Amino acid sequence: MHDFIERITAYVHWALFLLLEALSGFLLFQYNHYQGSVWFTQANTAAAIVHEWEAKAISYLRMPAENAALAQRNIALQQQLDVMRHELALAKVDSSHTQKMQTEVLEGTTLIPAQIVDNSVRKRDNMLVINAGSDDGVAPEMGVVSGTGVVGIVSAVTPHYALVMSILNSHSSISCRLRGTEYFGYLKWKGGKPLRAYMDDVPRHAQIKKGDVVETSGFSSVFPAGIFLGKVAEINNSSDGLAFELEILLSTDLANIRHVNVIDNHNKAELDSLLTQ
Amino acid sequence: MITKTLKRLAWALLLLAIQVLILDQVHPWGYGAPLLCPLVVITLPLGTSRSEALLWGFGVGFVADIFAGTSGISSAALTFIALIQPPLLALMAPRDSEEELRPSFSAMGRWNYLQFIALLLILHHLVYFALEGFSYFHIEDIAISMGVSFAASLLLIILAEHVRNPKK
Repeated sequence: MHDFIERITAYVHWALFLLLEALSGFLLFQYNHYQGSVWFTQANTAAAIVHEWEAKAISYLRMPAENAALAQRNIALQQQLDVMRHELALAKVDSSHTQKMQTEVLEGTTLIPAQIVDNSVRKRDNMLVINAGSDDGVAPEMGVVSGTGVVGIVSAVTPHYALVMSILNSHSSISCRLRGTEYFGYLKWKGGKPLRAYMDDVPRHAQIKKGDVVETSGFSSVFPAGIFLGKVAEINNSSDGLAFELEILLSTDLANIRHVNVIDNHNKAELDSLLTQ
Repeated sequence: MITKTLKRLAWALLLLAIQVLILDQVHPWGYGAPLLCPLVVITLPLGTSRSEALLWGFGVGFVADIFAGTSGISSAALTFIALIQPPLLALMAPRDSEEELRPSFSAMGRWNYLQFIALLLILHHLVYFALEGFSYFHIEDIAISMGVSFAASLLLIILAEHVRNPKK
């Protein structure tokens, strides 16, 4: 009997090993779905608070560089505005018309400012966490943008945080079009470089050249039309040879952003109900 | 015994903090981040029971997973190398070593310890990246991520060991 017990205890570590690996497997499969992982992973309050401290410290350290970049962008925008005003005046078009159009695009939407507290670009399915949640008016399926373009789509919210599916996620698919044309497709990311994504289903008769601008199409209620996504870097054939697959150089460097805005489209519910009919 | 456990816990927490706050943000050329957590398991002293090693591996992995959003991946990989570390250390430690020898360059010899670290780190990375890339295409990308992360982790661990045990 004594011998038997000794023999059993000599192998107890194998049982423990199997138990712990099984537990890891359970965690792996149970919580690696986006919605299910919210309470366990990044949007969980304890982890989010630590990440927020860290984000604050990094944001403080990066402030000079970010301020400089913002100032530069501001000057560039002012110059652009000046050129546009000048051209408008030359064209003798009633400028109130343009202003009206601009406000019409953004009418019915509110921008909710937020900071990124956790971010990744190295995985196949990257998610980020922002410090605005349901208490601030954020809800799943809202679009997230930065000053340079589209960032992602909110996938789950807690009262103070939201988990955002980054455009650098193999499940992300954003309806887009080539600026100035009506050719549209879907922007997808296939892993690897964080600045390269692909737009597929572009018909072969479309006249495209490198450097063409890709923007959101406005076909879904998530993003209004005309938000910058990137520029065409390469024109390739799709795998079935029937269409073009465009390699897009993304305008937003997700490895280096901090401040974002969530787009709250007031007409979203109405639009969605129409689309599901 | 309790002091030793507390010391080891502090060491584990320090490595976890460095991993979560700094290394998880570093992606050499957009590929895999260096992983420092395996060092907790690698430096378990000679004579640690295998069950104890397994609990350390799983515990550290579990916490690292929560902060990195990689549920189950680090815990599986660290538990795996924690199973192998005690017998491997017994095999590779010098014959006349003291009972509770803590693996280090000075205790095991430079080349011997480097082999010990590299072997455990390769096994760790194999499990880690196999699980992380589980459902995905682009096997080359996974291999490059693994290679980059392995090289960065190895360098970092060697550096950390020199900081911890500076030459006297």
